[in-house]
Amino acid sequence: MSSISSISSSTHEFESASRGQQALYHLRRNPLVLIGLIIAILWIVIAFISPAIAPVEPLQQDLVNRLQAPNALFFMGSDELGRDIFSRVLWGSRITIPAGLAVIIIGSALGVIIGAVAGYAGGLIDELLMRLTELFMAFPFIILAMAVTAALGPDIRNAVLALSAVWWPRYARILRGLVLEVKSQEYVEAAHSAGASGLYVLFRTILPNCIAPAVILATLDIGTAVISFAALSFIGLGPEPSSPEWGRMVSIGIDFFDQWWMWLFPGLAIASLVMAFNFIGDGLRDILDPRLRGE
Amino acid sequence: MNFFRYFVRRVVLIIPLLLGITVVAFIIANAIPADPINANLPPNALNDEDTIAAFRKKWGLDKPLHEQYLTYLGNLLRGDMGTSIKWRTKVAEDIAKRLPATIELATLGIMYGVVLGVGLGLVSAIWKNSWADYIARVIALIGVSFPVFLIALVFLSLFYAQLGIAAGPGRLHILMRPPPTVTGMYTIDALLDGDWKTFGNALSHLILPALTLALYISGIISRITRSSLLEVLNQDYMRTARAKGLRERYVIGFHGMRNSLIPVVTVIGLSYGNLLVGSILIESIFAYPGIGFYMFRASTSQDFPAIMGVSLLFAFIYVGVNFVVDILYFFLDPRIRVG
Repeated sequence: MSSISSISSSTHEFESASRGQQALYHLRRNPLVLIGLIIAILWIVIAFISPAIAPVEPLQQDLVNRLQAPNALFFMGSDELGRDIFSRVLWGSRITIPAGLAVIIIGSALGVIIGAVAGYAGGLIDELLMRLTELFMAFPFIILAMAVTAALGPDIRNAVLALSAVWWPRYARILRGLVLEVKSQEYVEAAHSAGASGLYVLFRTILPNCIAPAVILATLDIGTAVISFAALSFIGLGPEPSSPEWGRMVSIGIDFFDQWWMWLFPGLAIASLVMAFNFIGDGLRDILDPRLRGE
Repeated sequence: MNFFRYFVRRVVLIIPLLLGITVVAFIIANAIPADPINANLPPNALNDEDTIAAFRKKWGLDKPLHEQYLTYLGNLLRGDMGTSIKWRTKVAEDIAKRLPATIELATLGIMYGVVLGVGLGLVSAIWKNSWADYIARVIALIGVSFPVFLIALVFLSLFYAQLGIAAGPGRLHILMRPPPTVTGMYTIDALLDGDWKTFGNALSHLILPALTLALYISGIISRITRSSLLEVLNQDYMRTARAKGLRERYVIGFHGMRNSLIPVVTVIGLSYGNLLVGSILIESIFAYPGIGFYMFRASTSQDFPAIMGVSLLFAFIYVGVNFVVDILYFFLDPRIRVG
């Protein structure tokens, strides 16, 4: 706990500090953000270098050494076909991280466009798009994604597409509100009177002024996207069974309940990644919403 | 506004929503699969012209799309959700048979979840930035960050396999006979039958999956409770309440709780969606024969009609629960009654 004088002096410094210093200040006050950042960056690095650092190929079978408990040769044990769990967990990051990010990017972009068009166009278009948004929000979204993936046929690409297709409504709502607010600003009117086309005004004048909250929401959402993707593949609506995808590995591990290493390590991989993103998102929310900072 | 008008207005609003859900389900079932026949019939029936013709006729596949939808809606209203590819049984009947088990589990799960979530949130907010707040927030964070299937596996492995203090998979001990069916919920049926032994055994099988479910949904509930109560605690009327000498217990219990409850109730309604998803993942691990386990086995074997049936049911339940939440608002939020 800092004394009153140090608080006031740090507030003073804060006002005149550069953005970089502000970021450092917040990082020091939110150690969880730092931990989250370190874990997330570690996983991203692993995703890039896992082909180089994994002891063996993720699909390589070794039937002599099947169902080995963790030991010097297999750090995290081996599965029912003698595949090395450690190598598979490392390789799994190459599926889960891009899949989670893709869901966020496609889903939020879709929501931003739908919300922006609804807010800018107004009238009937607005009404139709917003009723559609409400309809999508009426489904528990993972359930809707399950149905869509099942209809498209289960694989990684379809799981990502299905999740993106149900991800957008919240973004659409927020963006619509913001666009409505910004639309009435004088500089928008100025752009119109300077002869800019409607699309130009929407995408070059209005959107840049309301994109920040969507970006923040997207950051908060990465963890949810990762865990949702894992859930889809856990119930068999993701990659094929042999794939080193974490959710899939856990669901295969259920049949080998006593060989706990088969489900525990891929499960912990998901948990650590999601927790890292949630730490970052939580910290971000605290920093941006001072009411909850608890000072 | 009186309650009746409020209620009628909500009912009128929910009808287009329910119809909209059937439209979305229809589009997913009929427009997205490259070939609905391929998606809905078992592989060995695809050479059988008669089966295919019967399927076409039943779902009106030779008619234009809007008529197909009406056929679909008609079948649905008659309680026909198609036939499971894997089990060759009627999906609607399968669901009806398994629903009581899931309701039993979900009810207990949400009860534990609300108690745990609101409790943790209160502790967090009242003793803000203390070690209690810290522990409560870490538990909440585990609830939202750990995949629920991992929590289920760890619980099962720890409390059942290692320590032997909890009942294992299933709804009852293998050698026990289910109570005579009245509601389909084993605990209630056993009570109605006056059979305490069966009641105890059924309950003991519910506790572990219900606790897993509770931990899963309590994360988000406790977060909202905490932030909502913290916001209320900063309000002027709280200071007034303290200034006029009310005891702290009363200040928080009456003024604080009541005003911070509204967003919490919303979130409980919304987390019912998580509860349903959680039931799929948890029942599959506890081999608990409810709708979730059915959905799990349907999706691992690409049983498309069964997947669509459960999705539709879950969407309806979700809308229904949030309808109830809307109605609760009327009693919780005086602004609605006045405004």
